[in-house]
Amino acid sequence: MTALATRESSAPTPQVPTSTSGSRRTAGSRRPRAGHFFVLPYVVLLALFGVIPVVYSIYLAFTKAGGGFAGFSNFTRSARDYRFVPAIEHVAMYVAIWLVALIVLVVLLALVVHRLVSGKAKAVVRFAYYIPGALAGASSVLLLLFVLDPTVSPVAMILRWTGNEHFTDVITPHHLPVIFAIIAFWTGAGGWILVLYGALNTIPAEVMEAAKVDGAGPVRTALNIQLPMIRKWVSYMVILSLAAGTQLFVEPELVSQASFGIVPNDYSVNQLAYQFAFTQNDFNGSAAISIDLLVVALLCAGLFVARGKLFETD
Amino acid sequence: MTVLAAPRRTSSSGSSAVTVKKATSRGFVFVLLVLFALFFLVPIVWLLLSSTKSATALNSQNPYSFGSLHDLRRNWDALWSFQDGAVKTWMKNSVLYAGLALVITLAVSVPAGYALAKMQFAGRRFLLITTLIVMLMPTASLVLPTFLEINYAHLVNTPLSVVLPYSFFPFGVYLTYIYFSTAVPADLLAAAKIDGCGELRTFWSIALPLASPVVALVGFFSFVQNWNNFFLPYVMLPGSGQYPMQVGLTQMLASTPTFNPVVGANAAVSPPELVLATLVSIAPVLVVFLLAQRYLVTGLTAGGTKE
Amino acid sequence: MNLGRVPAPARRGRVRVAAAVIAAAGAAALLAACSSGTSVGGKNNAADPGSKYGFKTAAQSAASQITVWVDSTRLPAAQAYNKAHPNSQVKIVSYDGNANGSNSFKTKFSLFDRAGSGWPDVVFTTDNNSASWGSLDGTGDLAPVNKGLVPQSTLNGFAKGSLDVCTLNGVTYCLRNDLAQNVLWYNKKLMDQWGYQVPTTWEQYEQLADKVAQQHPGYIVGSAGDAWAPEIYMWGAECPANDVTGPKTIKVDTSDPNCVKAAKMLDSLIANKTMSTLSLFGPEFAKQQGSKVLMLPGPDWYGGSVFQGTLKTPKGQIAVAPALHWADQNPPVTGDVGGGAWWISSHSKNLKAAEDFATWVTTNNAYQADLAPGYPAYTAAAKGWLAKQQSSGYWANDIAAPILAAAGQVWSGWGSAAFSQESIWAKVVQAGMAQGKTIESLLPAWQTEIENEAKVLGYTVSK
Repeated sequence: MTALATRESSAPTPQVPTSTSGSRRTAGSRRPRAGHFFVLPYVVLLALFGVIPVVYSIYLAFTKAGGGFAGFSNFTRSARDYRFVPAIEHVAMYVAIWLVALIVLVVLLALVVHRLVSGKAKAVVRFAYYIPGALAGASSVLLLLFVLDPTVSPVAMILRWTGNEHFTDVITPHHLPVIFAIIAFWTGAGGWILVLYGALNTIPAEVMEAAKVDGAGPVRTALNIQLPMIRKWVSYMVILSLAAGTQLFVEPELVSQASFGIVPNDYSVNQLAYQFAFTQNDFNGSAAISIDLLVVALLCAGLFVARGKLFETD
Repeated sequence: MTVLAAPRRTSSSGSSAVTVKKATSRGFVFVLLVLFALFFLVPIVWLLLSSTKSATALNSQNPYSFGSLHDLRRNWDALWSFQDGAVKTWMKNSVLYAGLALVITLAVSVPAGYALAKMQFAGRRFLLITTLIVMLMPTASLVLPTFLEINYAHLVNTPLSVVLPYSFFPFGVYLTYIYFSTAVPADLLAAAKIDGCGELRTFWSIALPLASPVVALVGFFSFVQNWNNFFLPYVMLPGSGQYPMQVGLTQMLASTPTFNPVVGANAAVSPPELVLATLVSIAPVLVVFLLAQRYLVTGLTAGGTKE
Repeated sequence: MNLGRVPAPARRGRVRVAAAVIAAAGAAALLAACSSGTSVGGKNNAADPGSKYGFKTAAQSAASQITVWVDSTRLPAAQAYNKAHPNSQVKIVSYDGNANGSNSFKTKFSLFDRAGSGWPDVVFTTDNNSASWGSLDGTGDLAPVNKGLVPQSTLNGFAKGSLDVCTLNGVTYCLRNDLAQNVLWYNKKLMDQWGYQVPTTWEQYEQLADKVAQQHPGYIVGSAGDAWAPEIYMWGAECPANDVTGPKTIKVDTSDPNCVKAAKMLDSLIANKTMSTLSLFGPEFAKQQGSKVLMLPGPDWYGGSVFQGTLKTPKGQIAVAPALHWADQNPPVTGDVGGGAWWISSHSKNLKAAEDFATWVTTNNAYQADLAPGYPAYTAAAKGWLAKQQSSGYWANDIAAPILAAAGQVWSGWGSAAFSQESIWAKVVQAGMAQGKTIESLLPAWQTEIENEAKVLGYTVSK
């Protein structure tokens, strides 16, 4: 990239003269580059709706309700809540099931759909797989109420076959991680299949041709050529899905409404944060729980950013 | 980035074994795709059929049976007359908010992603890390500070109170960043620069046309996310005249006897009517999907670089 | 991320990172300063005996238009008010009415409190426990109505005990919209056909249930499949599971003999299948038991919502009997399931108009007697409502007498806490019932969960 940088600085680009020297060739120059102008609107929005809220939440997490410094007391208080540990267990079980299923199946389906010959078939399949992703929130509550009830469900046969005769049988506690995983996959897979499909499209046709000529079958092509080339996309998906999984909120909230409260609305850690803020009026404790979730997500993200080389450019 | 292996002649194996292998793998593919199609579509089919039934029919009839056109008509009329045509207002609001945010999001996110991927400037890595951190923050905790900010700017109760936060779309910035850093070769842009293009020209005339898949993707995801967003408009907007469809749907849910038994008969929403409301609310999303899908299929066209 | 040696420009980059973070922290601190900072246990002691209304009011402006929040069912009430008052129209905003456990009222008000502005003037809720968080001992968002805002004569016109749910330390905060006292609904046609006598006590009810189980299996005499089951059976048995004794104190003892005897009765009826464990408004009940309802102890709104609405029972079959009570109760008491309320915001800039509106919608016959779906809490309007219901010709007997009688029998020992008893029952007892446990065996778990939730919300729990 250094050669490019040299060329950039020799071409006529708008330059604001500053008093600092700073070599024009090094990336750490303080003089506003064209890049700064490209990202400026985004930086404004990022500051307003990203950075300030995050910093404010950190501020809340370490202060008391009245305003004084609280140390770690918000964290210990929220962690000692009787719902905290069960919520962590619930989320851990859910993530273990859902994340693996999501990654494996989405990658598999994206590869398979990409391999289809007919463009029409590809379009139809992508559309069909995406439709559930358009449903969100309130739309799904009624749907869940009926689909999970063996007496009226369109999938009654499957429910009965797994030994459930009544709605309350289906939503017993040890079924819940699986149910939430299925719902989350049902709504979320289509979008990610779309993204990975687009990613697979970015692999130049010559590479695929060469692999074919080499005699590589679909599985070998996928494992040795396609997946490595979309590594950044896959690691992006893993990071976001991990965060989304640990921040499980929508699915238990919907099933809680559909079950009229039998599934509680503090099942997951994120729901607990919400309850702290808006039921108990304890915004500080809520912020502490959110920071807990953020730290977990960051640790996992760091791991995948490194392995997937997400931050490296050409 | 490109890996070109030297072409080798393949040895011909028994052709019948190859065709059997091909047939089983095709069969496997077919079965897999059909199974998943059923998985994704069966509840949607149920939704479509349920909108044609009356409330009693919904409980008593077979889930896969068609109701009647008469009941569909009745549900349709009831839907549009709910609360004096509130649904029409809600849909219009949704289109306004999501549409406006879409334009701003694209204008902001695509250049940002491009710059992060293809340009060197101070703070590039800092920006990437910060964006990632913000994306990973649970959204429930961001609502209160956003509300306070909007309130401070006296923008509460205006469409901007939702459009501006909507336009902040880090997910899209990252998608654009990854796309530009993997799919648009640096040589292409270097060639443009050699030809005398400035940064802006390079972006506008060279990089952007090549980015139509990711622009379509980001536009689509932005539209869907904002169309489906419930909590932000619920917090920011004062009343049902400004609500988008998602928040309106929860109000309809709260008027369904199944979920709120004490709702009076004059305001009650029957379950099939709620189903129809759901279908109406996802229709625009599906339309936008079909429009965006056309751009998705175009891959990177080779030959832009003069070797 | 490749963290190798740190060259000079990167060091400068790090300084810039630090600067950016400090700037963000500064902005966040500004944000914190802007918010009024009311949060957990906000001590907003706004009681002011010197003021006209007994509390510290915002600057009043007689001409400013008030905003009212209603749900879709109450929208006609607000519209009727505007029609009747062309010179002082209110701004109508519809929201979900706090129904379905949405907690919208509390959520939005806590945001407004933090921002320091945005409160409406009058709010309707389908539940009635908002005083538990909004009173002068809590966030101070609710205006006391019995300290000069609403004439005492008006307040006296509400049914006895109906305002207790929003009264703390002698201060009342709401005007009750409707009552939901429990009575005994039954199918007169079937009862006559089978020669059964309508029970008057729970003991008789249980004996009748045994007979029904043997002679007409499949028919049900009650439902315990909804989260409000404790408000019918436990409240009516005087079970001290929700004895709110002060703004932040509560007494809970589910091992009390009253709770146990109610639980035992429910268990035996569930065992002989005369007590349904399905939700009344879910698809399964309508399909499988809808036509097999012999009796149903429950609130007065069952008539419209269950029989006319969900089950569509033909006319001339359903009748109402006086509320069941336990033989040793003197005076006999019954429970209550719900009942909405109107709240006036203490931040209102036009309290006079707010009071006028709230009083009109709760007492005016044109809405309450003719259009309201539920039994009005204002006694005069209630009589009109009963007459209108009777005149529809749907009922098999005179429903006015038993419902009117039950209105005065609601037991005052079941209070209105900041947490939802219904969600606790659903989470612990219904979930346990789904796994086959008896309600009696779940009483200790019920106790534990009530205590936990109460403590989390700042209550001191005693037995």
